[in-house]
Formats: sequence, C-alpha cells, structure tokens
Amino acid sequence: MKVTLAMKPAATGFIPIEAESIVPKNFLSGTDLSVWRGNRELRLDELFSVSVEGSADCSEDVEVVLSGDTFRLKRVGEYMDGGKITVLGGIGMHCGNFMSGGTIEIHGNADGWLGREMAGGTIICRGDAADYCASGYRGGRKGMKGGAVEVFGRAGDFLAESIAGGTVIVHGDAGDMTGAEMRGGTLVVHGNCSRPAANMKGGSCYVYGTARGMIPTFRKIGTVQHDGRTLIQFAGDLANRGKGNLFVKDYEYLD
Amino acid sequence: MTELLVKNACVIDPLSGINGEVMDLAIRDGKIVEEVSDAAEVVDAHGMLTMPGGIDSHTHICGTKVNFGRYMSPEDMRAGRTPRRGAMHATSGYSVPTTYGNSYRYSVMGYTTLLEGAMAPLEARHTHEEFSYTPLQDTMANTLFDGNWGILEAIRDGDTKRVAAIIAWTLSAVKGFGVKLTNPGGTEAWQWGKNVTCIRDPVPYFEVTPAEIIRSVVEANELLHLPHSVHLHCNNLGTPGNYTCTLGSFGLIPDLNKKRQTLYATHVQFHAYGGSGWKDFCSKSEPIANFVNMRPQIVMDMGQVMFGRTTTMTADGPMEFNLYRLHHDKWSNHDVELETGSGIIPVVYRRKNLVNSIMWAIGLELALLTKSPWQCLLTTDNPNGAPFVKYPEIIALLMSKRYRDAEFATIHPDTGSRVPLPAIERELDWHEIAVMTRAGAARALGIQDLGKGHLAPGADADVAIYPLKIDEVDPSAEYQRVIDGFSRTEYTIKRGRVVARRGECLVDGSNATFWVAPKVSEAYDMGKDPDFIEKFDRYYTVRMRNYPVQDEYLTRSRCIETEADL
Repeated sequence: MKVTLAMKPAATGFIPIEAESIVPKNFLSGTDLSVWRGNRELRLDELFSVSVEGSADCSEDVEVVLSGDTFRLKRVGEYMDGGKITVLGGIGMHCGNFMSGGTIEIHGNADGWLGREMAGGTIICRGDAADYCASGYRGGRKGMKGGAVEVFGRAGDFLAESIAGGTVIVHGDAGDMTGAEMRGGTLVVHGNCSRPAANMKGGSCYVYGTARGMIPTFRKIGTVQHDGRTLIQFAGDLANRGKGNLFVKDYEYLD
Repeated sequence: MTELLVKNACVIDPLSGINGEVMDLAIRDGKIVEEVSDAAEVVDAHGMLTMPGGIDSHTHICGTKVNFGRYMSPEDMRAGRTPRRGAMHATSGYSVPTTYGNSYRYSVMGYTTLLEGAMAPLEARHTHEEFSYTPLQDTMANTLFDGNWGILEAIRDGDTKRVAAIIAWTLSAVKGFGVKLTNPGGTEAWQWGKNVTCIRDPVPYFEVTPAEIIRSVVEANELLHLPHSVHLHCNNLGTPGNYTCTLGSFGLIPDLNKKRQTLYATHVQFHAYGGSGWKDFCSKSEPIANFVNMRPQIVMDMGQVMFGRTTTMTADGPMEFNLYRLHHDKWSNHDVELETGSGIIPVVYRRKNLVNSIMWAIGLELALLTKSPWQCLLTTDNPNGAPFVKYPEIIALLMSKRYRDAEFATIHPDTGSRVPLPAIERELDWHEIAVMTRAGAARALGIQDLGKGHLAPGADADVAIYPLKIDEVDPSAEYQRVIDGFSRTEYTIKRGRVVARRGECLVDGSNATFWVAPKVSEAYDMGKDPDFIEKFDRYYTVRMRNYPVQDEYLTRSRCIETEADL
C-alpha cells in the first residue's frame, strides 16, 4: 500500500504541526487521522491531498510518501515499528522519535532531534540533520539504543548525545559536543567535529576528519588501521575510568 | 447555606468509636452537623466504605526541595501527563509531579489534608506559594530546626526557654506548623564537610550533640504547647546497623504530653537497619517495634519503600551525598544559610536488589509488628520511599498475607534469611487501616480538635467514600479489589463539597493552611531580643523585617494560637 500525502500550499504557516499520527501502522485502518496545529485538531485531509494505492495487511507493506513543504511537520514516524516513510522534502523536529522498526528516508534536510531515543529501524537523511540528531532527551540517561541513522550531509551539535546502542554515520561534518555522554553503540563522522565523545562511558566513536577542541581527559594509545584509514586511538574519557574508544584521523586541543 | 446529606454510608471513624456502622452523614457549610433540612443535596453511598478524609502525616509535595527535584529530573515530567479537563488543570510528572498533579492524585485517593514534611524557614514563601496551588487539600508545613544557629547556641548555653522562644518566633514568622529535626546537627556538620554518626557526636563549632538537640527541642516544643510533637528524622539514615542509633534516640524521649505522643519519628523504615555493612545488611524492625510498643510517647510512620523509580529528597544533605556515591547519577546539594540544607537524587528501587528487597520488607514489618496502629502511620515519606500513589498497594499488602507472600516470591531470593516478614501472619483490618491513614495521623498531628480525622458533629466535612463494601470484600484474598477501591474514591468530599468523583476532580477548590503562633511573654519575644536581631543582621542575607511570610501568601489562613509557658 502506498499512501501519498501532499501538503496543501495553504496549509503551511508559521505554527508547527504535531503529526505523531503519521506512522505506517495507522494507515492500515484508513486515513481518518488527525494532527494538531497549535491548539486546533485538524483532519489529515484538511492539510494534505491524500491518495491511497493498493492495500496492506501489516505495517511492513505500507509506504507513506510525504511531499510539499513539510519542514514544519513534527513527530512524523514517532513510535513507528515497521513500514516505510519517504519524505521528498525536509522534515520537522522529532522525526522518528522512539522508532523501533521500519525505514524513514528523507530527501531534504531534517530539523532537530531526528531519531531521538530510537530503538531500532533505519533513518536515512540525504540532506543535513540539525542539532540533537540520534540523541537522548532532557534529563534522560540513555539516548538511541539501537537501529541505524545515516546522514549524508552535515549534522548539528550534540549529534548522538547519550547514545547507548546502534550505529550513527554522518558523511559530512558534525557540530560541537558530538557523541557527548556516549555509553554504547558506534558513531562515525566522516568530516570534522568538535569536542567528540565528551564524558564517554562506552562505545566507539570514529572521526575521519579533525577533532577540534579535543577533550584533554582522553589518553592517547597509538595508531590503528581501520577501514583503510590510519587513525589515532584514544582510551575513553578518564573521568569515567577510560571505558570506551575514540578514534580520530587528526586532532587539535584548545589553545 | 449549603447542605449535603450522605446517605447509607458504612462509616469507619475510629476517633468517634464508629466501626462499620451504616448511617447518614449530615453536612452544613463545610461542617458535620446532627441533621440537615429536606432541601439538602443527597449523595447516596449505597453502603460503601466511608471514612474521614485521608491525612498524610509526612509527605514532600511543596517547597524549594521538591521543586528542585522537578528541575533536575525533566525526564520525570514525561510520565503522568494528563490534559486539561473540566475543572482540572493539565498535570505531569510521576515521582515529583506538578502541584496540581499531587493535589488531584491525592484527592482521587480520598486524601484531604497533607503535612509537608520539611520546610526550610528561609524558603517558606516558596512552600506557601505551592500550597496555594495544591487546591484540594488542607496543608501545613513542618519547619526545619535541625541546624539553626540560634538554637544550637541556646542549647550549648543550656537555655531551653530561649530554644522555645526562637522556635516560637520562627514558626510565627514563616507560618509553619510543627518542629522538624532532620538528622539533628548532621546537616550543620555537613556544612563543615562532616556528619554525625550517632547521637553522641558533637556538631563542629557548636559542640552540642544530637542527643542534646533532640532533648531540648522536645522540651521546648512542650513549653510552647504546640499541637504537634517534635517530628524527628533520626541521625544516620540508611546506614547498616543504624537501628541502635534509632533506639538510642527513642530512649531519650520522656512522656510529656497526655493528649498525644512526645515524639513523632518519621520514615522509621530507613532507620531500622542491622548488620555492619551492605554484605550482612538485615532487618531490625523487631527491636524497633518492640521498643515502640512499650513507649506510648512515640509515634512513627513507616516510610515504606515500593519498587520502581522515584526521587529521594531530604534536608539530610550528607546522607544524600552517600547515596550519590552509591548511585553515581544526578545529585543536588543545597545549603540554607543559618538553618539547614538539603540533598536530592533520583533512585530506582529494584526487586532483584537484595538491599532494596530488605527495605521493602522492613516497612511492612514495622506496621505489622507495632501492636497499636495509632503508633505506626502509613506513609512512604513520599516520594522518598515511593510516590504516594502506591498507598493502595501498601494497604493491600498490610491487609493480605497472601498478597505479601505473592510479592515476596518475586523479590531477591536471599531476602528470606534477613527479614522476619515471611513469619508474620498478622493481617490488618479496615479499622486499623482507617487509623493508620487518618484518625491516627490526626491525633499525632494534634489536629483532631480542629475537626480533622473524624466525622463527629462539628468536624470538618472531609469525607472519603470508597467503592468497597466491607462485608462483601475479603481483603486477605481479594487484594486486587482493595487496591482498586483505595485507588479511586467514589466521592471525595472536602469542606462539604464533592471535589472528586470516580477519578475526576470536579472543582478548582481552595485549601486552608494551618500554622501555629505561640504566644510568649515580652521577655521571650525574639523580635525584640537585641542578641537575636544582631545575629540576624550579621549573618542572614535577608533583613529581619523581610523574613516573615506575609499573610497574602496564605489563601485561607488557619492560625492556631497556643499559650506558651514562657
């Protein structure tokens, strides 16, 4: 089953739209769903031109395609457990929160908190991801616990903050505090980033570019070969008894 | 004039000597009366269990420390979210909910009066502000005096009357209700980076011992004729082997008051530990309960621990630091100038953890081994042992051996050799539960004469009607029905109005705050004492005239004036 949701031009505006109902599973029982804009509850067809092709028995067979100006659409794919969401443009904050299965593919940019606290499934972002991509949330102790996030553009600050499992790959640069509070899983940044893996307690963090503002509490071990690259290995944050691994191509300390 | 008639209520009212009698309750203008006119609104209770409104004699629901618990655990606010509905505001939070969250959840469980367990005098305004947004319960605040410099100096000089005078001035100034000692001397020692291990250790600089503090504050409390006794959180909380310290503290207490206890010992579960370390940690509920059984001058509350996550918060700063060293999670530590301090950390009590399992058992043992339910009240020291929403489960555990056994089978397997719980057959009855949750609390707090905790004519019309028929439910077998029944009242009536119905709160309400103003002679008026004023000006960051809480902070002020022997 393929559900196409084309955002009506009139529906866009300054107020974000909370669209946690846009999850493949929910379309098994029709398109009679609602979303919230501010304190107003709106039917899906008030915002989108909805078209459905085919039918499905399980959420794995559902593909939701979002088109139009969807950058103010928040919480799409929250608690998603299967199926596919394809976003042709950009997507708003909190896309794929808590998702445990299925695939979200974003052709444009993603706003903050992409794949926050996800437990499984795959998110592919062909553009840039903003701050707190694949991270935890305020006060929480564990961020992403499983699954995979791949960003082909850049990522913002606090990429994979508190990550406890799963894999995050960013092909461009990442911002400040990359992998802060990391406690498990794998984080790969192909470009540069700043202050990676601060206060890490576990997991592995790879920076194929330059780590700027390198945290001084990491102990240098030596060089290793990884994926055809020569990287410098550090033992994780000594503030936490050095549990965890940080690999960087190059690094510079703060002056 | 508003009138309400509650018909066919199966009333348990221990203070009036009513136990399971089906009767009508007449209410006029917020008070219980003999009879009402035919025009009265009628509520038919259909023979359901009806008791005076619940009274929590020790809970932490309002004030700076509670609020800091919210502040440092934003993740707690992700639980317990309810949207705005009818008269109800939106709420959120589980272990430290919003004030409305506390108020609604207590009201739905039939609670109408709450005692905030610890208010730092300097920060009293915050407590009173939050009280005014706790609309469905009458409130009162125990005021902290454990590390008050003026009092410590007066004790060093052996001047109990001056201790009483400082308490009198402070209680009136901050609109507090009772005297709370939290780890007396220990929090002051903590400000020197130390602690006191038990009641004979001197506090740095002041060179007074916790034993001296407890004894003179107890005497001062009786000089002031306060409604409530001294409310003591013993030294050495949460340490293996601390029960000797607890017994030592209890042994200091003479019987000074005919109407009520002389000492209220709070969350005694945390003070009833045996062993010399965590490896041989065990329950010492038996010696504690036996001691209390022989001492009518002591009332305690359980401080029951229930499994799950919660937030611990107390004025006992050093203890929270020790907990932080165990958990390595978040920690907050706070100093309140010349008065006290506090610490907060979030915790999770786990069934698979032996220490936590033993703690769970100790609270229940204290309640079951204390012969008189008037001497052991039901609390969790909310939220330290568990959030108060667990009370119905605790009631069911106390009423059902079968439920206890079923739960016991799920906890750490080594618990059985460390605790006497499996051997205790006692099952509490409805009357005893009513004592532990309202009548006993009212007597212990000294508010029964103010119309709390009973349903005799003249009493405040605070009534809880639970959807339970006591002759149809067998609590020892049908414990789930007991839990469900106590979780959600059919009606909660507060000051003559139905405030909650089947889980819905119906009105925005307005509470009353009880506070105490002891009358002392001119010579003992600390507001005019040159020494006291000088100390105040010298060391406090606030001016003495800005210190007292203004009347505007209390929505509905109920001042209790006492004649002090000073």
